[in-house]
Amino acid sequence: MRAQDREALPGDLAIWIFIFAELLVFGILFAVYAFARSAHVALFNQGQALLDRRLGLANTLVLITSSYAVARATEAIHRDRVQACGRWLLAALLLGSLFVGIKCHEFARDAQAGMNLSHDLFQMFYLSLTGFHFLHVVMGMAILAAVAAKTFAGGYRAHDCTGVETAGAWWHMVDLVWIILFILVYVLR
Amino acid sequence: MNFRSQLVAKPYFVAALALFLGQILFGLIAGFQYVDGTFLFPAIPFSVSRMVHTNLLIVWLLMAFMGAAYFIVPEEAQTELYSPRLALATFWVFLVAGALTILAYLLVPYSDLAAATGNAMLPTMGRGYLEQPLPTKVGIVLVALSLLFNISMTLFKGRRTSLNVILVGALWGLALLFLPAFYFPEDTVKASYGWWWVVHGWVEGDWELILSALLGFILIKMTGVDREIVEKWMYVIIAMTLISGIIGIGHHYYYIGAPEYWIWLGSVFSAIEPIPFIMLIVFSIRMLLKRRRENPNQAAMLWALGTPIVAFLGAGLWGAMITLAPVQYYAHGSNFTAAHGHLAFFGAYAMVSLAIISYAMPLLRGRVANGIAAQRWEMSGFWIMVISMLAIALALSGAGIVTAFSQRMGDHPLSFMDTQAQEQVFFWLRELAGVGFLAGLLAYLVSFFVPGEAGYDAAVKRALS
Amino acid sequence: MQQVFTKAMARNIFLGGAVFFLAIYVALSVDTWRQIPVRDHASELSAAVRHGKYLVDSNNCIGCHTVNGEGAYYAPELGNVYTRRGPDFIKQWIKIQPTGVPGRRQMPHFDFSDAELNDLVAYLQWLSHIDTNHWPPNAEG
Repeated sequence: MRAQDREALPGDLAIWIFIFAELLVFGILFAVYAFARSAHVALFNQGQALLDRRLGLANTLVLITSSYAVARATEAIHRDRVQACGRWLLAALLLGSLFVGIKCHEFARDAQAGMNLSHDLFQMFYLSLTGFHFLHVVMGMAILAAVAAKTFAGGYRAHDCTGVETAGAWWHMVDLVWIILFILVYVLR
Repeated sequence: MNFRSQLVAKPYFVAALALFLGQILFGLIAGFQYVDGTFLFPAIPFSVSRMVHTNLLIVWLLMAFMGAAYFIVPEEAQTELYSPRLALATFWVFLVAGALTILAYLLVPYSDLAAATGNAMLPTMGRGYLEQPLPTKVGIVLVALSLLFNISMTLFKGRRTSLNVILVGALWGLALLFLPAFYFPEDTVKASYGWWWVVHGWVEGDWELILSALLGFILIKMTGVDREIVEKWMYVIIAMTLISGIIGIGHHYYYIGAPEYWIWLGSVFSAIEPIPFIMLIVFSIRMLLKRRRENPNQAAMLWALGTPIVAFLGAGLWGAMITLAPVQYYAHGSNFTAAHGHLAFFGAYAMVSLAIISYAMPLLRGRVANGIAAQRWEMSGFWIMVISMLAIALALSGAGIVTAFSQRMGDHPLSFMDTQAQEQVFFWLRELAGVGFLAGLLAYLVSFFVPGEAGYDAAVKRALS
Repeated sequence: MQQVFTKAMARNIFLGGAVFFLAIYVALSVDTWRQIPVRDHASELSAAVRHGKYLVDSNNCIGCHTVNGEGAYYAPELGNVYTRRGPDFIKQWIKIQPTGVPGRRQMPHFDFSDAELNDLVAYLQWLSHIDTNHWPPNAEG
């Protein structure tokens, strides 16, 4: 990779427009959450007590690790190590499925506890924030899978790897949003 | 114009403009009934003048969209239209059915019309914009199917550009989204919820795709900018439209009986709904700055640039003001909503229709562009209409704000009719602005009758200067 | 050379985004659909209420009025008119239209029978019980 390319944002500008838009939506959601929380502190504390922080923490570690894997995949393709890139992408995918598994387990637990979108304000926020993020993970996994398949088929090279970089940027965003979400919804009481 | 069959667009455009004039006349009647409630009563009650006003709007916009499709699809596909005859027959069916429906509105009491057209069997009547009796609704579907068959076949046998695929796809979406008009459950809340599938689905979803396709086409033709760039922008814009707009439908669900979570979700996604309109402005200006040639049709250029700007004001800005739940709590069902509706419909869909007509009509009449004198008339019409519509929006907003403060806030709220009496001055202003709008429209229409055309010489001279 | 953001990628984002958000919307709508009958007491949709609704629709009442804020802004809100005016006033009011007061907005005369007026009022009463998240702000609508 040439020096001047390194200074630019990886991936393409337009994907950053969408990432920016996504972050804007999540940012507004978080702000609205914080606003609603300050108006109903007791209700939110009571609701947050129902959440299992251990599951949230486990998922945070899983996503951070998968982000690491994606970063290694990008680095590998920059060195033209196609097989390594593909393997790192698969690892990220695997960790993504682990996240989905844990989160599904948690959703099932929530459903058993009688949580729903209309029970109270906290549950509305908790379910729509994590649900919305969950769908992003699923979408990110679909993108990673497509990129991994193309990688193994030899579709990317060091000088032509926008697809890997773009998928990576998207996945890092999904990870970043989860970290904020974890702190905001699970940790801060 | 490169293909003979594109000529079939001409009657569509002419009829669209005639119906547009009719829409404005009935708008003036309805507007005057706000200042004098006995005007034309009982011959044309307000509910009828308003219904004719809004239904003519839908019909003329559909006419213009169809004309645009018959003009653009063959040009983009680089082939003749599959069946110009079918297109012409469809035109007459649509025009006659539309005229009969309007006449029925004016001559027959609504409940008699309902009884005579089998509404009891399958109730569909009595909803805003969807007041048409059952036979008309079926007719709209048949006309749409005929259009879709014709342009899809043209698309398949010719070149499949992204722009053409978006346009044809969006027209399929328009037809599909009309189908919930046949679903009118007895549960009022469910009925409202489903009504927005048609109304929001059209004006804040699918029609924005048509809008960007028409604008994209005009910009490609007029600026000579590389098609790849224009089409990429179009995809980015319509992606943002749907990303924000699909859940953004929630801003219609706050106070109609739907669950409370729509208040939060609707507010968040509606907040980003102006973004595609801002992108549309940036897109148009960038394309104009990058233009590779000067087009002698300056009037069409003005429409193409004005459309995204007024659309942003009406749909983006005015829409955003009432989209947040705490504001809408006081503005819902007031003339503030009407202000937004007027400016958004005009800025986005009326103006893009006039833009494509402005670009295509000279070509359909066998010239590159109209003469300078005709273009002056047209551009005067543009400015008078835009300024008048802004004035209408401001006047209606004033009325809406009075409603919010006098009728909905405080310990001693006024009744509806007392509040309306306080707003009289705004209704007068709106009516005056409406007369201004009519003057602008007439100036615009005059431009079609001013002789003379811009020749290549004039175009070359302008390009060199 | 870095490959630029292609039209194909823009198209994929458009299609992916549309499917993604449509899926969310469908899921939310399923939930909403389940909740609506509770929020609007659908169990109380009697034959009279249904017929009253048919009269409101087939006479294009929302050509002037609003129902829960939807319709035209020429005449008062009907969603809470039952609370505001009560059944007897409503029936009497419809019967004496049009008022013919100079300059005042006129409501056409609808030739409803007493049975039809009762159904109409039953529907308006049903409307007034819908949980609309506390809208309108007060009885004036």
